[in-house]
Amino acid sequence: MEAVSSTAGLHHAGEAEHHHGPPAAHRSSRVDPQLLGMLLFIISEIMVFGAFFTAYFFIRVVDGNPWPAEGTELPKLIAGVNTAILLSSSITLHWALEAIRRGNRAAFKAGMATTFLLGATFLFVQINEYVHIGFAPSNSAQASVFYGLTGLHGAHVALGLMILLMVTVRAFRGHFSPEEHRGVEVPGIYWHFVDVMWVIVYCTVYLL
Amino acid sequence: MTAKLRAPGWYRAALFILLGLAFSYALVGVVRTLMHYPDAWSDGNAITTVSLIAIPLFFLVGLGCFDYWFYYAAGRPTRAEDHSSHGATSWKAYFRVNTDHKVIGIQYICVSFFFMFLGGLIAMLMRAELAQPGMQFVDSATFNGLFSVHAALLIFLFVIPVFAGIANYVLPLMIGAPDMAFPRLNALSFWMLPMAGLLLTASFFAPGGAFASGWTAYAPLSTDMPLGQVFFTIGVQFAGASSIATALNFLVTIITMRAPGMSFFRMPLLVWANFSTSLLVVIATPFVAASQFFVLLDRALGFNFFDAFVGSGKNGSVLMYQHVFWFYSHPAVYIMMLPGFGIVSEVLSVKARKPIFGYRMMAFSLLAIVALGFTVWAHHMFVSGMQAWIRVPMMITTAIIAVPTGIKIFSWLATLWRGVLHLDTPMLFALGFLTTFTLGGISGVMLSMIPFDIYVSDTYFIVAHIHYVLFGGSLFTIFAGIYYWFPKMTGRMYDERLGKIHFWCTFVFFNVTFAPMHLLGLDGMPRRVADYAEQYATLNLLVTIASFALGLSMLVFLYNMVASWRGGPRAAANPWRALTLEWQVSSPPPIFNFDAVPTVVGGPYEYGVPGAVHGIFQSPTEAKPTPAGSVATSPTRE
Ligand code: HEM
Ligand SMILES: [Cu+2]
Repeated sequence: MEAVSSTAGLHHAGEAEHHHGPPAAHRSSRVDPQLLGMLLFIISEIMVFGAFFTAYFFIRVVDGNPWPAEGTELPKLIAGVNTAILLSSSITLHWALEAIRRGNRAAFKAGMATTFLLGATFLFVQINEYVHIGFAPSNSAQASVFYGLTGLHGAHVALGLMILLMVTVRAFRGHFSPEEHRGVEVPGIYWHFVDVMWVIVYCTVYLL
Repeated sequence: MTAKLRAPGWYRAALFILLGLAFSYALVGVVRTLMHYPDAWSDGNAITTVSLIAIPLFFLVGLGCFDYWFYYAAGRPTRAEDHSSHGATSWKAYFRVNTDHKVIGIQYICVSFFFMFLGGLIAMLMRAELAQPGMQFVDSATFNGLFSVHAALLIFLFVIPVFAGIANYVLPLMIGAPDMAFPRLNALSFWMLPMAGLLLTASFFAPGGAFASGWTAYAPLSTDMPLGQVFFTIGVQFAGASSIATALNFLVTIITMRAPGMSFFRMPLLVWANFSTSLLVVIATPFVAASQFFVLLDRALGFNFFDAFVGSGKNGSVLMYQHVFWFYSHPAVYIMMLPGFGIVSEVLSVKARKPIFGYRMMAFSLLAIVALGFTVWAHHMFVSGMQAWIRVPMMITTAIIAVPTGIKIFSWLATLWRGVLHLDTPMLFALGFLTTFTLGGISGVMLSMIPFDIYVSDTYFIVAHIHYVLFGGSLFTIFAGIYYWFPKMTGRMYDERLGKIHFWCTFVFFNVTFAPMHLLGLDGMPRRVADYAEQYATLNLLVTIASFALGLSMLVFLYNMVASWRGGPRAAANPWRALTLEWQVSSPPPIFNFDAVPTVVGGPYEYGVPGAVHGIFQSPTEAKPTPAGSVATSPTRE
């Protein structure tokens, strides 16, 4: 058995689901398994956010509480700038993916590094905002919802950054190629999801 | 020694548990110091809460669930022999991280049955207390803990995962796949489970006792509970993450790995059932995760989602908890039932030697249940004080959801019609399921009627309903499935006589135990209370006696399983003369399931149709369908 499984030897970019040993399965769908897995994962992520938005909905709309809680102010402008930062990271990520598709390694590495730095900046600004915002989650249910939603999103940014870091490390170690870049594409989808989710959070929590 | 501590396995897991403890202690201390909190380094509650999250994660890392991904992430060569050991050569393989779906399936089944027996023992302790009015063995706080842990274990650690285990074993075989789509994720999902179970069980040792707010953990009761509640809050997260990951895996496997020719409408209904269940899990389970996040945030970080006390001025909303919770937990009752529907479809068709009646309707009704299942959650909240206008729509949707369920019942009956019934143990359990589940469904429709529900809310009528659908429904199908696939999984036959004894004892004592609860409920005996009025004494004594007999009949099952696995007669490859693919390979199946990927040429249930074939093998010399009655050798287990 060991002999069977060790024939697989080295594994490279994107082969997260590699089959060493078992005969290759018949592909009954054109959809890539990892892509599908990521999409399903995103569906359940959307539902987690959905539950937090349910809390928002009950506390703000159903119970008709003032938003934000009396005597508090949400920094719309800084958060808006931060939104722009996060959105631009989606663009640089897309650029990186296109670069590796064309085989331009230098642009690919630069794109990944920029994306990571932009994401990290977003998180930094967010934490800074928490420090200076002037209210704590314990002050009111509105404050709890604010911290809950933005914190949940922040946790996703942190997770996304970890994944991006992985991709970046692998990029600098010479992995991925124009033929084999699923390991960039699939994490990329997650990152775009995190960005889109932020736009929704920003609109509902800060703007509306 | 250091080599042992560095290689993935139990030694490293033990080391990592210690590291996790140290990590939690340090994290809490440092953060509390930074925040200038009092007694920064000695707050037991905070340390326990953090370590309940950290220790399972550290354990998983230590055991080696993440090794491959760590190598991958670092861009290092991933070595296949890291922990991609496939298949089992001895019983020890079941205690390691194994990526073979057959091993994982058995791991799932054994672990969840362990918790089934544990939860059952707790139930018997409760029945002992309830044998007479007044307080006998436990005080009321302990009793609250008992029923909470009982329900939480049986729901989150038994019914949901045991179905995942059965499907893990048979589903890839049924669709002609060599394994699941993501074997390593599969292993990780399994190993989260024992951790979740340990947390729930360990809550008994927490100061203040086990969590005592029921399996529903309503806020603000749960936010004010002693520390034991956190064990539930976090344990459920691990169980939930495990079932989401498994569901995702099933969906990808079913969609992308079917054998050639296996169109969606040639899939066995068990595959359909798990497809629908997995959809429910992926969409609904995040809600229970979120509800427990809220509770955890309220408890641990001083959030105020649920502080609705007017004087406090915090504006929290307790109804929100119930909406979020039931938006998961009503779909969850179908998560606990649909896989059983699948099992029963397999068993009935094979044992009646007839094609399943209305195959397409069976598949569509599953999807209808999935869709409708999301529209009925507030029938659990008729007396909660929610907006009155939600009630009637929920009543109507709840009554409607009985229609697809009814379609299934009638299709099964039509399948039996004029069939050649083989009344062996799996079939008996399937027939028993039909009877008891129908009764449970009827009490369900009664409960959907608002006036009736208000009358019996929080009485033993609910307990009767729950157990008719979960014990008489889910558990009977689980038994049917375990007996049915026992030969395939172990390569041995179980003892038919003991199986029948087990069925009849279970069936009779189940009904004697739970039927009187309907009457108790109608008479107004409240659920979840350790003591009761004199007038309920007679029926309660009867229930207690029957429940002990029911518990004893589970020992017959246990003995049968253990003894047959060790020394039962060798099983043929296809003892039931079934058509589905899992029966066309040896028992137990070869290590990679199929030597050649089979080709599907017909429907899965063409029993009694002359010359009908479901799957053929491309190279007939290597793996031809084994004729019934022949003795297959067992390659992996001796
Ligand atoms: C025809 C189908 C069904 C209908 C119409 C139905 C209806 C209901 C209703 C209205 C309630 C709320 C009772 C109350 O708390 O006042 C209820 C409770 C419950 N049902 Fe069902 N049900 C059905 C099937 C099932 C199935 C298949 C399961 C599980 C396998 C299930 C499990 C439960 C559980 C666990 C509760 C109690 C929850 C609790 O408060 O602890 N039901 N059901
Ligand atoms: Cu329900």
